[in-house]
Amino acid sequence: MSQPGLVAVAVAYLLLLFAIAWVVEHSSGRVSRLTGSSFVYTLSLAVYCSSWTFNGGVGKASQTGLDFLPIYLGPTLAFCLGPVLIRRILRISHANRITSIADLIGARFGKRASLSALVTVIAVIGLVPYIALQLKSISSGLVALSADPETGATTGPVLADGALWAAIVLTVFAMLFGSRSIRPGEHHPGMVVAVAAESILKLLSLTAIGLFVVYGLFDGFGDLFGKAAKIPEINSVFDTSSPRYGYSWISMTLLAGLAVFCLPRQFQVMVVENVDERHLNRALWLFPLYLLAINLFVLPIAIAGRMMLPADTDPDNLVLALPFATGHPWLALVAFLGGLSAAASMVVVETTALSLMICNDVVMPALLRVKRLGLAEKSDLTRLLLWIRRAAMVAIMVLGYLYMRHDSAQFALVSIGLMSFVAVAQFAPAIVGGIYWRGATWAGAFAGISCGFAIWCYTMLLPSFARSGTFGMSFIADGPFGIALLKPYALLGLGGLDPVTHGTFWSLLVNTGAFVTVSLVGRQRPMERARAALFVGAVDSGEAAQIWRRTALVPDLMSLTARFIGREKAAAAYASFARTRGVDPATAVQADAETVLFYERLLAGVIGAASARVLVGSIVEEEPLGVDEMMRILDETSRLIEANRQLEEKSQALEAATAELKAANASLQVLDRLKDDFVVTVNHELRTPLASIRAFSEILRDHPDLPDRERLDFLRIVVTESERLTRLINQLLDLSKIEATGSIPAERARVDLAAVARDSADAMRQVFARSGMTLAIEIATGPAFVLGDHDRLVQVVINLLGNAAKFSPPGRGRALLTLARTGDYLELSVADNGPGIRAEDREVVFERFRQLGDTMNDKPQGAGLGLAISQRIVAQHGGLIWVESGPEGGAAFKVRLKAAPRSKGKAAGRHQPASAD
Amino acid sequence: MMLRRTARRDRMVGLFAAGAVLLNPPILNLVGGWLFGWPALYLYFFVVWGALIAAAALVAEGRGGQVDERDRDGPRP
Repeated sequence: MSQPGLVAVAVAYLLLLFAIAWVVEHSSGRVSRLTGSSFVYTLSLAVYCSSWTFNGGVGKASQTGLDFLPIYLGPTLAFCLGPVLIRRILRISHANRITSIADLIGARFGKRASLSALVTVIAVIGLVPYIALQLKSISSGLVALSADPETGATTGPVLADGALWAAIVLTVFAMLFGSRSIRPGEHHPGMVVAVAAESILKLLSLTAIGLFVVYGLFDGFGDLFGKAAKIPEINSVFDTSSPRYGYSWISMTLLAGLAVFCLPRQFQVMVVENVDERHLNRALWLFPLYLLAINLFVLPIAIAGRMMLPADTDPDNLVLALPFATGHPWLALVAFLGGLSAAASMVVVETTALSLMICNDVVMPALLRVKRLGLAEKSDLTRLLLWIRRAAMVAIMVLGYLYMRHDSAQFALVSIGLMSFVAVAQFAPAIVGGIYWRGATWAGAFAGISCGFAIWCYTMLLPSFARSGTFGMSFIADGPFGIALLKPYALLGLGGLDPVTHGTFWSLLVNTGAFVTVSLVGRQRPMERARAALFVGAVDSGEAAQIWRRTALVPDLMSLTARFIGREKAAAAYASFARTRGVDPATAVQADAETVLFYERLLAGVIGAASARVLVGSIVEEEPLGVDEMMRILDETSRLIEANRQLEEKSQALEAATAELKAANASLQVLDRLKDDFVVTVNHELRTPLASIRAFSEILRDHPDLPDRERLDFLRIVVTESERLTRLINQLLDLSKIEATGSIPAERARVDLAAVARDSADAMRQVFARSGMTLAIEIATGPAFVLGDHDRLVQVVINLLGNAAKFSPPGRGRALLTLARTGDYLELSVADNGPGIRAEDREVVFERFRQLGDTMNDKPQGAGLGLAISQRIVAQHGGLIWVESGPEGGAAFKVRLKAAPRSKGKAAGRHQPASAD
Repeated sequence: MMLRRTARRDRMVGLFAAGAVLLNPPILNLVGGWLFGWPALYLYFFVVWGALIAAAALVAEGRGGQVDERDRDGPRP
């Protein structure tokens, strides 16, 4: 088949794939929902199987037997750790809108652009050989299938170069798939479905060749293996004589296991293009199953190739050469398309991922920093972003092509691929450490990755140049300048390992060592610690927003975002965000920290975390996170506990207040009842004299002929009752006056209590004499001054003496008035020899209207207010009044008052303040 | 639910350990020669590998129909 014809078929095939992608992105319904399927997700993961698998694996199998298998066993084992490792990467990446592996590392270790730029540079340098090998595989496929082997040789003129055609066509397709438009989250559903379709074709193609070889060229597996066993070189590969697999097997397994999440294209399809975390559940076993299926026929094809093809056939072309040499050119074309699928999907996804990284983590941050360009003010940057990405794709492909032209003859596909694996494996310590170890620092990650990369350059990249003749084989054989310890394949004299194992061992050892050591020695800044907590612990975005206390205006953020993703998409995204927070998107103007974070992540989904941080930082007011702030966040829990405690205290206080109120209410109810009683009693007391006055007055009016004696008697009763009524009303007025003034006495003058006693006794002497009773006075002190109201005190004493006169037996009654000083107090006592007061009545006798004795038989001898008034007067003077048994069996009323401080004159005493009690 | 998820994770880690031991030297160097006319190592790899995948499938999909209830868009296997 002619080479132009083959190129035409290849381009037609790629156009078909593009049509699939276009339909997926532009239709609705079933087709566009394909990306929501876990099967499409799994098949897109199979981008792992590049043309390296398709052609290189078979080539390696034909040389060394089963050595190719660790490349697929490693991912199988890594996917066993999927629920622990990959799921975590997925969650973190979704939460932070990570768009590439450089973004992930950059976001974890602080968004300083230098680290993600380093990762990007390493990824590009490490993967250029890998891309080169895809070109090489396509071009050698073209050569093998060309009818005339002369025209398609890779050493021929450049225009006839199949690899150049392949590079150009694949670049165009990568641009069409990967950088047609800017979308938030960097989802490329069309690309994913196309890659899935290619994966199906890869598998079908290799299986078809395998079935053809096993059942077409041979008579089943038994026949194939039976014939192979008779060939000594093949037999020796499988016999038990010597242990064949050692460190290199282990290191390849490890490398492949790391590559399956460190390769940018794997990260792209596995993490960035993942639309639903649950798809991982199925991919955990389905992806390894795909790897198993595609490898099932690798060994039979390789063995058949060894047996049937001439020894000088390029082992990497066995898959094509077998059907071609046995006269089945159409089957060879199927094999070519399978290899093309593998190469095309790998190149498209890898360049898309790399161009994203270059644009977001290297070019944009650099451009944004150059103030002179004024990029931050430009109104629409989506076109600029797209062109940067396209330029990056072209640059990558040019590098790949140049590397291939330079290096192609020296290495088998597998060796080139493994070199790339070791390069990207340098990211693994930082990623795994970053998501599980809080103490991992930016400096540690930077040191680890750069040291590991330096070792990789020395032990793998430089020798590859040396072998292709740039600076001679002596560099490998004797070491630089003849220093044997620095031999790149036997560093420090570590011999006996193949170059890949050797490079893997040293680079990962130094990488991990530097990462851990620098992290342990160094110190994390508060910001870094906060970010570590976000990645390692499960912190939700609300708390994340709190750590970065930033505010801005929503319109500013909106116009910034709109420039990168378009106004409509930005508005729609914000509207749905605002809905979830219950905010009206039309009215919210001030953006809080969480909103700022939302916008930053939205932007990060397009231009990467590093650029987004720079851009958002330019319009945001950021309060630096101090130690206090960190403490505040850390203390959030203890503050909650404190608040809880305070709440408890308050509820206790509330309970106490409630109890007090209840008590107050109870006493109020008692007082209310007492008032009612009082009103009833007063009513009764006033009615009694009124009734008798009215009755006698009516008798006098109705019987004008009454004898004068009776008339006089009646009139005397009327007068007496009137006096009693007057007295009662006076006393009531007195009482209410005293109660109204409360405990503050109206007058505070110096009063001589001895004089009060004498005056009162003089006033009452007439009363006693009339009833034939005696009144004795004993004043055992000199002038006894108290502060108070003379008249009121006289009222008290007269009251007490009146009571004594009332209740003592007429004729033989005796009353004794005494005044004595005890310490600071003056005690006044009125004792009689009446019936006395029972102990249980001694408290209640001072209540209003309380009449003791048998009220049914005895006519009440007073209003019952005298003692109540006396008690209140004494209380007003800060004193005490009580009753006890008298010396002669009667009652003894005692009044105790505080003596006034000694003073020179009355005037000074008047102004003395009331004593404390 | 939480417990089941943890159990599933632990089982997968267990599978990883088993696979790492069985599919690496020195264990795999114990296998060699020819078996029923096939290379014994070829048989060994695909049997162990297949068993590992089958076990992973049982753990990831099995018991409780987690995928059925959560992954409706995906076609049935």
